Amino acid sequence: MKKLGLFLVMWMMFIGSASAEVIKIPVAGAFTGPLASFGEGIKNAALLKAEEINAAGGIHGKKVVIVLEDDLCDPREAATIATKLANDPDISIVIGHLCSSSSLAALPIYKGARIPAISPASTNVNLGKMSPYYFRDVYRDDFQGLFLAKYAKEARGLKKVAIFYEMNDYSMGLMLAFEEKAKKLGIRIIGKEAYTADTTDFKPQLTKFKMMKPDAIFIPGYAPQGTLIVSQAKDLGIKNTIFFGADGLDDDLMVKNPDAEGLFVTTPFLPDKAGPRAAGFIKAYREKYGKDPNWFAANTYDALGMAVAAIEAVGQDRDKIRNYLASINSKETAYKGVTGSTYFDENGDCLKDAFVKEIREGKWVSSEKQLQ
Amino acid sequence: MENLLEQSSLFLQQLVNGITLGGVYALIAVGYTMVYGVIQLINFAHGEIYMLGAFLAYSMVTFLGLPFFLAFALTIPVCAIIGIILDFIAYRPLRNAPRLAALITAIGMSIFLQNLALMIWGSQIKSYPRNILPKVFSEPALIFGEVSISWLQVFILSVTIFCMIFLHLVIHKTRIGAAMRAVSQDKTTAALMGISVNRVISFTFAIGSAMGGLAGVLVGLYYNAIFPTMGYVAGVKAFAAAVLGGIGSVPGAILGGGVLGIAEVMGAGYISSEYRDGISYAVMIGVILFKPSGLIGRKIGEKV
Amino acid sequence: MTALNPAKLRNHTLISCLILFIVLLPWIPLGHSSNYLLRILTTAILYMILALGLNIVPGFTGLLDLGYVGFYGIGAYTSALLTIHYDLSLWVILPLAALNGALWGVLLGLPTLRLTGDYFAIVTFGFSELVVLVLRNELWLTRGPMGLPGIPAPSIFGHTLVHEWEFYYLILFLLLIVLFAVTRLEDSRLGRAWFAIREDEIAAQCCGINLIRYKVTAFAISASIGAMGGAFYARWFLFIHPDMFKFWESILILCLIVFGGMGSIAGTMLGALILIPLSEILRIVLPQELFNARYLVYGFILVLMMRLRPEGLIPFERSRAAKALKTKKRIGSATGKEAV
Repeated sequence: MKKLGLFLVMWMMFIGSASAEVIKIPVAGAFTGPLASFGEGIKNAALLKAEEINAAGGIHGKKVVIVLEDDLCDPREAATIATKLANDPDISIVIGHLCSSSSLAALPIYKGARIPAISPASTNVNLGKMSPYYFRDVYRDDFQGLFLAKYAKEARGLKKVAIFYEMNDYSMGLMLAFEEKAKKLGIRIIGKEAYTADTTDFKPQLTKFKMMKPDAIFIPGYAPQGTLIVSQAKDLGIKNTIFFGADGLDDDLMVKNPDAEGLFVTTPFLPDKAGPRAAGFIKAYREKYGKDPNWFAANTYDALGMAVAAIEAVGQDRDKIRNYLASINSKETAYKGVTGSTYFDENGDCLKDAFVKEIREGKWVSSEKQLQ
Repeated sequence: MENLLEQSSLFLQQLVNGITLGGVYALIAVGYTMVYGVIQLINFAHGEIYMLGAFLAYSMVTFLGLPFFLAFALTIPVCAIIGIILDFIAYRPLRNAPRLAALITAIGMSIFLQNLALMIWGSQIKSYPRNILPKVFSEPALIFGEVSISWLQVFILSVTIFCMIFLHLVIHKTRIGAAMRAVSQDKTTAALMGISVNRVISFTFAIGSAMGGLAGVLVGLYYNAIFPTMGYVAGVKAFAAAVLGGIGSVPGAILGGGVLGIAEVMGAGYISSEYRDGISYAVMIGVILFKPSGLIGRKIGEKV
Repeated sequence: MTALNPAKLRNHTLISCLILFIVLLPWIPLGHSSNYLLRILTTAILYMILALGLNIVPGFTGLLDLGYVGFYGIGAYTSALLTIHYDLSLWVILPLAALNGALWGVLLGLPTLRLTGDYFAIVTFGFSELVVLVLRNELWLTRGPMGLPGIPAPSIFGHTLVHEWEFYYLILFLLLIVLFAVTRLEDSRLGRAWFAIREDEIAAQCCGINLIRYKVTAFAISASIGAMGGAFYARWFLFIHPDMFKFWESILILCLIVFGGMGSIAGTMLGALILIPLSEILRIVLPQELFNARYLVYGFILVLMMRLRPEGLIPFERSRAAKALKTKKRIGSATGKEAV
């Protein structure tokens, strides 16, 4: 599929004529590189959805072709890809990007070219505000951080929390939101330490935390570091401390690590709490890929669904699609998909429910205590 | 407010972490310093040999199913050979070329090897599956109150000490060691005395790379994180350690490694974790600017 | 002087055609990919500028600056921050960034340029790593890892630049300025002193050249060009982030000048023109996993060039300045002084 997409783009570049019989929808994210496992869900869901649409006749008879654009979660790659896509007249909407830093880099380019984008995964707080052309069907970090603080207090009764965050948009945004709410709720933040993406030695800071004896350590970061942190904590003999995080830790790397037993995360999508519409999606995904879909997949499936609905309704005009998406702005007009009802506020953000799941014996299970 | 006991426990624990890290840096630094001693070249690619050591052991364990200690033992000679090959194809042809050319070649090889590893193993961080490692590693070996030293740390420290003693014996008690010392003092005279300079250089690379690769295996185990760019940062820090101790001096490299490891961990623990890597860079720059001969090394005059 | 040389004539025609092509590129109808191509070429020309700046240090003085990306980053952040906070025009920012770069060049150069080549290289490397660390951690200044998005584009006579071709001509214009500066330098007393240092430091010292003064000047000028490149970059890309200024960039720029010919201006430009679009070609041709490792090619080029053709594609020896230097040497030996 990717090779086909590549070939189509090349063909387009060198002949310069518009191809007529297919509708190309680019999906941008990290499909190789250290965060590729997040991109996998996105890729799989996009391809699955496209297959289903084409099997049902496509959009007014034209087949949907998914063009995968790999941005490696690198802002520079994202900007290069964005330019390429924005200049392609056959592209009228983009599903992407994955990482908030990529979205931030691509956003001005899409805005300049007036091409709408729906991100299934970028949770940074500012994205929706910065452009009328940027939408997302995932919740924002400030909401997530807030929710986590409430959950920590009300559902788990945590009193002393240490935070171990990464120096990037996502992690810091989440950390700040959590901290603010936690203080209001009376949770003591007994320590805050930072790391960078290439840190592998967390022991000095974990040693500090160990001495403070926290009830829990909040890791608002990504799984590649999260898995190292929990293991090194175990090596240091840190006991009686719960680890928790957010969507960034929602990955096989965490689940497969026996040291992560008991870790809980927020997630926009829980297969067993999702509605009946989701059942079909989960079953199809399982059949095709041999595993359950994660929230990246679910959000992408819905984002693509919205894009297709838009094209079906108003054609391939960029501004018209943008306006159509903006009109999905209330419970009544909401898009009903596998992640529930999705609708956008005036910034293009959406507020969805958050759920909590935890790791028990190498699997994700929905936590007994949920906040609704 | 933490009491004195907690504070000193924290300090001691960090010290233990620091010494362990220092031992690793020393192992890598020794390789840099020996090569610089004999051919006055900063072997930029040394960090990559460290990285390859980690990957090789990992691959042997996960793909060939070898038991860990066997993989560990096999990686050492393989890395030695890689070092020899590196010298042979990249540095030896430029033995008489200007220094700049050799330096650029070293950088080029470093980049090349990093990306080669990226191509072969991918960029995802690799970890040893928990069940393959000897169970005992996760257990603490010694506990003093809040301070614990794990068996893994003991293992790393013992290996480091063993290597240092071994190296000392080789350099001071064997003929090839004497030859190494001769070549690093004065290459031309050594050649005139009948020493095969190229052979000595190859041997130097072999030992240095063996130790570097060994350090890689240990670190891969200790943090359980193996990835293609791990050699880059560790290499710089180890080089800083070598410079700190006095480039060209093996005891200096060991001392420098220890000091840098402790300084880094203490800095990260007490001052600022964000600037952790910066400590090494600052130390390196400081030493080069103010005391280029390092803690132990000798003054390097410029011959006219 | 010499008879009309057909090879030279052919070369000049070739070069003129190339220049014409480059200048008229935006008007050539290439369909919808033209913006993409323009962007690639703008990148190539930006790197040409950067390479010309770096070229001064190893090319003209024989030292290896491994920390060049530090100045690039300083220039980019200077430009971005000044634009965001004070809304200054690009024409004010460019000289300011250049000055800032030069300042840091002097600050870094003064204590370090007396070191031997290896140590100098390492210290410059450490410097650029520290710059990245500061950029990443000092959130109050640079917003750290959140980067600086939404930098306003430059405006000329009230018209804000929007299209790729506008930026293209802007960078071409900047290239002309830098080219002019560098060629004049090559030919000047400053330039000749630099070449003397490159050929043999000690002999140059004996001829009365104050090593430190000339080295620091070279370094400062190199830094200011790098900073200027960064200043443009910030207001073209409209988003900067500390991770864009890592060590790899220094290596890439080094590769350009090694490949093209260290010390030779034409070589440096050719190196950039070939190797930068190469990266885009690799992106199209290679599967993604291999593309992520494309620096392998650059590393390989470095090793290969040093082994087979260390003087680069267009060697320094062929340039006008080198010829002038040789003339001086010949005169020197004719009067009985030892040719170095």
